[in-house]
Amino acid sequence: MKEAIITLDNLAIGYDGQPVLSGISLSIARSSFTAILGANGSGKSTLLKTLLGLQSPVGGRMQIGALGVKPVFGYVPQAIQFDPLYPLTGFDVALMGTFGRVGPMKFPSRVEKDFVHECLRATAAEGFAREKFSRLSGGQKQRVLIARALATKPDILVLDEPTAGVDVAATKSLLEFISRIHAERNLTVLLVTHDLPLVRKHAQQIIWLHNGQVLHGTVAELFTRERMAEIFEMELI
Amino acid sequence: MESLRHILSPDFLLRNSVYTSVLIGFACPLVGVFLVLRRLVFIGVALPQIASTGIAIAFSVPMWLGLLQPEHAAHSEHLYAFAGSTFFSLGAILVMAFLERRGGGSIEGRLGTAYVVAAALSIIILSKNRYGEVGWLDLMKGEVITIDNFDLALTGVTLALVLAVLGLFHKEILFVSFDRAMAITLGKNILLWDIVLYLLIGLTVSMAVLSVGPLIAFGFLLIPALTSHQFARTMRQFTIAASCLGGVSSFAGFWIAYEYNLPVGPTDVVLLGVVFFLAFLAKKLWVAIIGSKAVKP
Repeated sequence: MKEAIITLDNLAIGYDGQPVLSGISLSIARSSFTAILGANGSGKSTLLKTLLGLQSPVGGRMQIGALGVKPVFGYVPQAIQFDPLYPLTGFDVALMGTFGRVGPMKFPSRVEKDFVHECLRATAAEGFAREKFSRLSGGQKQRVLIARALATKPDILVLDEPTAGVDVAATKSLLEFISRIHAERNLTVLLVTHDLPLVRKHAQQIIWLHNGQVLHGTVAELFTRERMAEIFEMELI
Repeated sequence: MESLRHILSPDFLLRNSVYTSVLIGFACPLVGVFLVLRRLVFIGVALPQIASTGIAIAFSVPMWLGLLQPEHAAHSEHLYAFAGSTFFSLGAILVMAFLERRGGGSIEGRLGTAYVVAAALSIIILSKNRYGEVGWLDLMKGEVITIDNFDLALTGVTLALVLAVLGLFHKEILFVSFDRAMAITLGKNILLWDIVLYLLIGLTVSMAVLSVGPLIAFGFLLIPALTSHQFARTMRQFTIAASCLGGVSSFAGFWIAYEYNLPVGPTDVVLLGVVFFLAFLAKKLWVAIIGSKAVKP
């Protein structure tokens, strides 16, 4: 077992002090590919926001990174959440990935800009990076957002339903791309999705939020006929 | 053209008014673009009105307390006005920011209430002040004609400060406006950058209201930004085009007003409105032409 990059100990998550999920104890190994599954309202987004530091846990303990070294998150939110009013090109959006390193009163250097171009090429987004971000298709936006996440030079890549609103072909290609960079760059990947076949194909670990319970295990452990029947409350033929 | 030569002459009697109008015209859209992007257009309406209520209170309270005589030097009078305008607009925008962060309730409802109460309060205060209708109402309406060197310098320094801060921290302000979640994950203090933006908006509005009045301040905050937004592909284009449109329109508005003996501020706003409408038509026409070309085999 590789060292844990995220350790949750009896963690309770929720809003305004009211837990949505509690008693979450698990660890996520460095360089692993973990999928977070669950029905709408099961707490997937709340768990993700808590891990990212966007909201505080209601209780318990959460250790991100090791010995006080905080890992960098490369966060890929859902593309539909962005306001189309902003006149930004794909490159402008991807460049934001460098803003964690480029402090106030400074501007991204040529080296940083070249690196962003490299990230856009890696995600096959260079061709439309000069287009307005709001006019790109769902799949193109996701590629730009993944390039932006890579531009942060992340330790953990966090993807919140990256295939929502993306057609089947683009979904397949996106997930294959994520799998490839996971392997090439030794990235820890946390993927929130509803797409079970893709999870089966690409993920190593699964966190399944179901009826207030958190099931954690490998694909082989959780994708069994008995477990699936239990989760979906139906007989599987 | 004779009137244009007059206006451009260094000896022109109203040159300070021209410079102030143009400065306001260039500066207001720079913060206005963020009001448009963050969908806070109602703040652009409410804040100038609250700032002018601040001016009314800053004039009247010292009067009632016997600390200010209206016949005294204009400088102290304008400093009171500047203090009232700044204090009220900054206070109001920080309260609004706090309520927005806490969430809940209707932002539009709060802003609408703030606007109408502020407008009513201004009228009540000035109606109870025997000097209100003599000279101060002109200031409240944005009397751009009587601007001395001190007011011009105050406007210039304030707007230079706004421009400098906006230029230096544009990246951070844009980032927290566009994607707050990502900004937090990269360790940005979104509260700090929100406050910086709100302070810039408050300072610009208070200065603009003091110089040109609430109606014109609102016009310059929003119309140039809304006009240039129709064509801009990047933030740089958006910001520069909005600022240039504001500056050029304020000069052109002054010229038209001088030529035809019209009130300057309202002429500026009507001119901005005409430019917005023409830009809208041009955009529609452009889209129609491009669209028809696209469907041709």
